[in-house]
Amino acid sequence: MDYLVVFLVLVVFLQTRITNLRRAVICLASQSLIIACACFWLGLSHGGGLHAMLPGLLTLAVKVIFIPGAVWHLVGKLTNEREILSESNVNYSTMAAALFLVLGYAIVERLLPGSVGRDIIAASILMIMTGLSLMVLRKRAIIQIVGLITLENGIYLLGLLMTEGLPLVVELGVFLDVLIAVVVLVILTSRMRLSFMTTDTSVMKKLKG
Amino acid sequence: MNFSISDLIYIILLLPVIFSLVSATNMLSRNVLHWLNRLTATCVAAALFLLVTSFDVNTPYGDEYLYLDALSVWMLLIIGTLYLAFAWTSKAYLDRDTNKRYGYLRRFGRLEGRFYALSHMFVWIMFVVVTVNNLGLMWVAIEATTLVSALLVAFKFTRTSLEATWKYVMVCTVGICLALLGTILVYYIQLTNIGPANPLNWLYLAQHVDGIDPAMAKFAFCFLFVGYGTKVGLAPMHAWLPDAHSEAPALTSGLLSGSLCICAIYVLIRNIIILLPSIGVDFISGLCLFFGLFTVAAAVPFVLVQRDVKRMLAYSSMENFGLMVAGLGLFVPMAAQAMLLHMFNHALVKYSLFYTAGTIMEEFGTKNMMRIHGMMTQTPRTALFWLLGIVGILGMPPIGVFFSKFYIIFGFFQAEHPWLGILMLLLLAGMLIGILYHVMRMFGGQAKRKSSGELFGFVDSAVLAGLLLFSCVASAGLSEIAVLNNLLTHAAQIVLGGVY
Repeated sequence: MDYLVVFLVLVVFLQTRITNLRRAVICLASQSLIIACACFWLGLSHGGGLHAMLPGLLTLAVKVIFIPGAVWHLVGKLTNEREILSESNVNYSTMAAALFLVLGYAIVERLLPGSVGRDIIAASILMIMTGLSLMVLRKRAIIQIVGLITLENGIYLLGLLMTEGLPLVVELGVFLDVLIAVVVLVILTSRMRLSFMTTDTSVMKKLKG
Repeated sequence: MNFSISDLIYIILLLPVIFSLVSATNMLSRNVLHWLNRLTATCVAAALFLLVTSFDVNTPYGDEYLYLDALSVWMLLIIGTLYLAFAWTSKAYLDRDTNKRYGYLRRFGRLEGRFYALSHMFVWIMFVVVTVNNLGLMWVAIEATTLVSALLVAFKFTRTSLEATWKYVMVCTVGICLALLGTILVYYIQLTNIGPANPLNWLYLAQHVDGIDPAMAKFAFCFLFVGYGTKVGLAPMHAWLPDAHSEAPALTSGLLSGSLCICAIYVLIRNIIILLPSIGVDFISGLCLFFGLFTVAAAVPFVLVQRDVKRMLAYSSMENFGLMVAGLGLFVPMAAQAMLLHMFNHALVKYSLFYTAGTIMEEFGTKNMMRIHGMMTQTPRTALFWLLGIVGILGMPPIGVFFSKFYIIFGFFQAEHPWLGILMLLLLAGMLIGILYHVMRMFGGQAKRKSSGELFGFVDSAVLAGLLLFSCVASAGLSEIAVLNNLLTHAAQIVLGGVY
């Protein structure tokens, strides 16, 4: 489990450095793969069986295969688009991620001193905050979607640790929602490409006041 | 025929989704589609009427996944009324929007099927929100409403509607994710303090609230408040609300403003009932009052400088949501009852206002209020409904909003927050001046821009008149209508933490 946390933190930091959209999607998939491994690990420690393995299988199917697949497909259509600005905020988001990691450990030490999953809680706080910062600091629509999924993964990981997942029905519903959310966002992004000739969200600033 | 409560609930929960799937196939002709749409909504409304009249408030209905008490039935009543109004006004609206000459959707063929599929699905999910018994499933349903309504907000796929939808999905999903974190924390509280039986079941939790760790409960409540508060449109998190409400098709704006945001308040109330005994009234009351007043205060300046007619209505919705949340935070029976009544009145009046605003936009070919004049002479019928709705939403006597606003303000004084009550009155006065200034300019004066003539037909006039009249009669004669009065009193008791 410790190795998983180390890999996870590494992947999240990589996520903040990447500007290439395809690499960002691969990074997202590997991040979800680590979460799926954590699910399987937890399921095995509960004695296996379909019920215990279902969250892991769903994570694998939805977050590792379907969502990156859909976004990958979308990225494939985004050739020769109008380029607005380069990702100048990369350094800011990496620095923010470093701060969030320190913050995460500080919160854990303050709120739950000496708890078992200290590193995992810190990692999930890192993921939640980094997801938020990706959505706020970056302008490309795809990177914002990646940030949203990172945020969701972080909350999912926290839930996995604190309560060993939600009740099964609720968990299924959450997966369904994430799935539909990505479908809706992919539809919107491809529409955005048609209307604005770019997926840079900074061109959308007409609605004010 | 005799239906039991469970039959009626299954009728209410099955019909919209069946119609939605049928119309999604896009195989029906336009006329069949319009009539099936009306038929579905009317059947659901009839079932709802039977449910409201036969429901015994002292014996809530519950099974494995559903739970219905007075509060849920009250919410069903609000959503169901809007559903009926939606079904009977949608044909007129879609005919105008797909009109060959000037309609906005004329370039696309056969969009009615998609519009109906999404709208009925949207209403169906809201029915699910108020009938499920599980806090986790409530979260799932609220998130699903965001996603379905996002496709409705973006329905015209113009540049501005895409912008509004992107903001809507991003802001609301982040907010709702925080609410998921809050829900996970509630589950954690349940596992550590109560036990693993009946996970996240609302009734079970509400009956076993003793001995919850207050610090953890406070932590969970903060996340839930921020999360669902985003969906309600409370002030610092309201960025999506004016955009989504103004860019959506008029019918969708009405549903968004009238029923979606109060569904979020409903889920917040359900969570508050569980966490209230351990956190204490002061903390929750303080948060609700502060954010409620702040929301109203944030809306007032934007109304004064507004030019877009639907954006003005969106800010007026924000004002009303702020008032509702503040009323919730007072924790006196009068205010709780008035808040629920206000949800009802606001939904009915705001739906008719958004519909009228959509008509005005088509009659004058603009949504800039500065370019619309002389409505009284050019489009008298639209002007009449516009005036009645505006007078209503501002809280002037003939329409029901007057009563509910009055009782909420009265609640401020009852709960011994007189200064906050006076502040709220001043803010509402600012709102009234801002909106009336714009609306009166639209009414009178010389028309500089020729309108395309009166577009209000017979059916939609009748529906709108019915909505306004229902709001009047239900609130003014509340104590005379035993069914509604009973329902409302019990719902208010549930809001204040009385569980049966």
